[in-house]
Amino acid sequence: MQPFLQLDGISKSFAGVHALVDVDLTVNSGEILCLMGENGSGKSTLIKIVSGVQPQDSGTIRVEGQDVRDATTAEMIRHGIQVIYQDLSLMPNLTVAENIAMARTIREGRRLVRWGEMRQIAQEAMDRIGAKIDPDATVGDLPVGLQQMVAICRAFTSDLRLLILDEPTASLNRTEIEHLLALVREMKDRGIAIIFITHKIDEVIDVADRVTCLRDGRNVGSLTGEELTYDRIVELMTGREVVPVPFVARIDPTQAPVLSVRNLTKRHNFADVTFDLYPGEILGIAGLLGSGRTEIAKALFGFSPADSGEIRIGGKVQPIRNVREAVAAGIAYVPENRLTEGLFLQKAVGDNLVSNVIDDLTGRGVLIDEDRKAAMVAEWIGALSIKVADPSAPVRSLSGGNQQRVVIGKWLTRRPKVLILNGPTVGVDIAAKAYIYEIVHNLAHEGAGVILISDEAPEIVNNSNRILLVRGGRVQRELETRQTSAQELHRMVAAS
Amino acid sequence: MKLFQRSEFYLVVLIALICIFITSQNPNFLTLQNLYGVLRSASVNGIFAVGVLFVLILGGTPDVSFPAIAQVTQYVAVLALIAIGGGNIALAFAIAIVLGAVMGALNGIIIQIFRVTTIVVTIATFNLYFGMLYVLSRGDVLFEVPRPFHDFGGTLLFAREGANGAVYGLSLLPVLWLAVMIVGWFILRRTMLGRSIFAMGGDEVSAVRIGVNTFAVRLFVFSFVGALAGIAGIAHASLVLSAIPNSIVGVELEVIAAVVLGGASLFGGKGTVTGTMLGVLLFAILRNGLVLLNISSYWYDVTIGIAIILGMSANAWQQLRARRNQVNVAVEGEAP
Amino acid sequence: MKPGHKPFLQRLSADAPLLFILIAMVVLMALLLPGRFLASYNLVNLANQLPVLALLSIGMMVSMLSGGINLAIVAAANFTGIVTALTMDWLTGGAAATAGLPVILLSMAVGLAACMVIALLTGFLIAWLEIPPILATLGVMMLLDGLSIVMTRGYTLSGFPPFVVEIGNGSLFWAIPNAFVILVLVILALHFVLNRSPFGFKLYMLGANPRAAEYSNIDTRMVLMKQYALSFLLAALTGFIMMGQFNSVKANYAESYVLVTVLACFLGGINPFGGDGRLSGIVLAAVILQTISSGVNLLGVDPFFVTAMWGAIILIVIAVSHLTGRHSIQAMIRALGLGRDKAAARPETKE
Repeated sequence: MQPFLQLDGISKSFAGVHALVDVDLTVNSGEILCLMGENGSGKSTLIKIVSGVQPQDSGTIRVEGQDVRDATTAEMIRHGIQVIYQDLSLMPNLTVAENIAMARTIREGRRLVRWGEMRQIAQEAMDRIGAKIDPDATVGDLPVGLQQMVAICRAFTSDLRLLILDEPTASLNRTEIEHLLALVREMKDRGIAIIFITHKIDEVIDVADRVTCLRDGRNVGSLTGEELTYDRIVELMTGREVVPVPFVARIDPTQAPVLSVRNLTKRHNFADVTFDLYPGEILGIAGLLGSGRTEIAKALFGFSPADSGEIRIGGKVQPIRNVREAVAAGIAYVPENRLTEGLFLQKAVGDNLVSNVIDDLTGRGVLIDEDRKAAMVAEWIGALSIKVADPSAPVRSLSGGNQQRVVIGKWLTRRPKVLILNGPTVGVDIAAKAYIYEIVHNLAHEGAGVILISDEAPEIVNNSNRILLVRGGRVQRELETRQTSAQELHRMVAAS
Repeated sequence: MKLFQRSEFYLVVLIALICIFITSQNPNFLTLQNLYGVLRSASVNGIFAVGVLFVLILGGTPDVSFPAIAQVTQYVAVLALIAIGGGNIALAFAIAIVLGAVMGALNGIIIQIFRVTTIVVTIATFNLYFGMLYVLSRGDVLFEVPRPFHDFGGTLLFAREGANGAVYGLSLLPVLWLAVMIVGWFILRRTMLGRSIFAMGGDEVSAVRIGVNTFAVRLFVFSFVGALAGIAGIAHASLVLSAIPNSIVGVELEVIAAVVLGGASLFGGKGTVTGTMLGVLLFAILRNGLVLLNISSYWYDVTIGIAIILGMSANAWQQLRARRNQVNVAVEGEAP
Repeated sequence: MKPGHKPFLQRLSADAPLLFILIAMVVLMALLLPGRFLASYNLVNLANQLPVLALLSIGMMVSMLSGGINLAIVAAANFTGIVTALTMDWLTGGAAATAGLPVILLSMAVGLAACMVIALLTGFLIAWLEIPPILATLGVMMLLDGLSIVMTRGYTLSGFPPFVVEIGNGSLFWAIPNAFVILVLVILALHFVLNRSPFGFKLYMLGANPRAAEYSNIDTRMVLMKQYALSFLLAALTGFIMMGQFNSVKANYAESYVLVTVLACFLGGINPFGGDGRLSGIVLAAVILQTISSGVNLLGVDPFFVTAMWGAIILIVIAVSHLTGRHSIQAMIRALGLGRDKAAARPETKE
């Protein structure tokens, strides 16, 4: 059978850096191809070439056997190739109907808006995938899951032959992911070719017919059928086997909890949250997006303080009304989104590292002691093995894994008693993940209490000794990690 | 949509309260004669405001060059009509619209090509246009505008005689303003072009991906602003019956403030013609109220400043409160 | 070399493009005005005129570092002068020119205090109510202009005691104008505040990413309040200098300077979205603009031609920096082979 899309020898470089080197790739109609690869391996560049955003330097693209040269985005859409970008590419200020229908009405060269027609186009597209969204709702007001549906519906306003999904599940909760994967399988059954890009190996095993992996801009191989196992995929991605080191807590049973939370409540956020955190412990918080897990963390950090309840640090009652009180009490928080909440991208690596402690770096006077600052920067760059030649280089120039080390390092400089990590390895590749876990384990072994909030069940199971299951703003269950498994935890979280 | 309605609703309430207050102090406020006057004096800023609204919806920082464009087009049109010894008002409008559109288009082209924020580019073109006008005109004031301006500015609809014998009626300027608003509304609401402006204001990268020709849209918006500035320039000349090279500049910040008070977002993608109209009317009524209350016109800037600060504060407070009460998590067992 | 310290030469190379433009401008003016531009009286004149533009530009830069803007900066300078003048007038029963030193200092304190009240109001609107700075300072500007007009009834108030005039026009050290000495002292102080103090560090961080700043134990509201206080303090200082230089105060003096200070920031490489910008850049930019303005003035060119020229300069700077691939004038000179291209050595992020 002739493949729907066939790439031969695609190469592309930017300013002398090879993004893609001689890549071959095929996708058949009615097939789900999972494209994997660590950050910077060339996946995004490949998509841009296939969708006509950028031309390749060399190599050929064939769609249904036909040579396609220097195609624009519009031409690729006419070939039936559509991309759903990770950021969804929606206009948050427009309605659902407009977001779905506008691409088509523009393509057809309409000059006037007929609102009835817009709604009808949108409705037809929604009917095709069984989505039920109010066409007059403003997209920005919808939850991310529904926004994703809107983006998919938009692809269905034209004759769809190949759908490329770029990390579609990154910001979805468990139920939404299940729904999306079912939808992808359904599209496959209708003969649509699908390229599915993701970091999450369990999803790959779930939906893929075939996995192709890019590493450093090269296609390093494919797996199909029986070969699709967790270990084989990891091996393909990293070129070696990665064995996760599980966390073993070393807790002194005579010690008092470093953090005690009693009946913490914040209207419209969470209610009656009660737990203890002991020194040397990693407490996992498992829950879906919107379960209240992030809100609890933000309250403990004073970012959006709780309405009532009691927080004790080292046995003493500690009111937390703002970030400074939390920090003074020894609490640190590594936020969910590295780029928007964690880092000052344009500023130097060194300045990022000391941004939490700058007030403590003044010398005898009121000015910053540059020598102490430089010494501290050098110390932490060394301690965290951050790969940077010059600490005055902007943090933007680092890789995702190194950036995340800077975010964590920012807080280690304060030597916190309680460290809260919210999704610490999102968008970090497998090798870098292992290193970040090592840092966190060591911190716990040195006597800090760690709270780990994460989407990924394996991450929590491997890196905690106790787990709180959060749902509907309440702690539903508390369990010992060794009594459960990643599969079981996954089921418990998904069941909610 | 609810949010727009809300900010417009509050504006209506605010305007109503101010009207009630002014009327209670001076009943002359609520006479047809006075209200016609308010509308007439608000028209020039009203026409500018529609253009500013388009730029704000498109996103990025506001355009500040429109008064300079109005100034230049007004001066050129008046000179042209003087040169041919009369002509008619349609010719004046045609000259002003074409010239204004070209001058505005330059802003659009520079912004599109060089990717620089609107306010920086338009500060530059403001200085360029305004300075060149002064240099070339040597600052000469044209006190005598040709007949057509008098005719256009003096025509009154529904004319009737007032108590003191003076004839009053609805000037053509508010009619022109209304026409501009209808055109603006139609473009924004009923054309793909208008929706593309909103799309770019919402997310320009996404707009490109769904096939919006961002260059064409941006070029249109800035040409449109320029053309409206031209129309406003002619309207202004018909109102004050002279062309003075510095008689319009200085309104830019007030107009922008009116549009923002009317609910347009400085971050793009949001704004309505109705809200814009209410913002302009609010300022016009305030100005009129000061006169009727016998308060020195020196207080006008103070009043406007306070109105802007209070308006923004109320709006900001609303948003902060909404954020506090936002439901982040549907907490089990919590009363909604 | 200690890590964290940038060597002097490297810092200088960052300013090389602006220095180059400055030298080019001076040479151009010297050629156009042989014997006049470089004459000592003209250089003294330049040093006398520079402080108003430079102080206002620095005040504008400070607000831009946090990602804001201060449109009220000139209005605040005039407002301070007017409050000071009226206080002096009132304390001396209408004979301001005869005021003694205590009265003068008291009046200036009142003017400064009034300006600081406005600074607090502005800071409150921006830091607590989270109103976009461009709007908040626009409202404050209109309010200040209005108050100034109301207080002066639109008239010019003139005739101040010699001490006040000396601040703006006199010179204590040889021929160096006092205003210039004040400027140098302010630049020195600001260098320590912006580049060496925790406040300066936090200001840059806040400008780079306000959300991350909040998560990084930075009291963002406090930093914003201090920042607007500093910006308005510089405006007040300018107000005192203007009082002396014009020997009068008026509501709308130097209004067009708001735009020129924005131009100076743009030329000086200040990032309008916050977080980046060097003090040396803005000072050099102000010197360049003052050189052009004085030179053109000496050439006897129509002042409105100068207005048009400001516009043209911005457009040229935009175009040239774009054609060389980077949105800063620095890149332009890099293309000419001056200065070291540090950016090219850095790995760029993908996408």
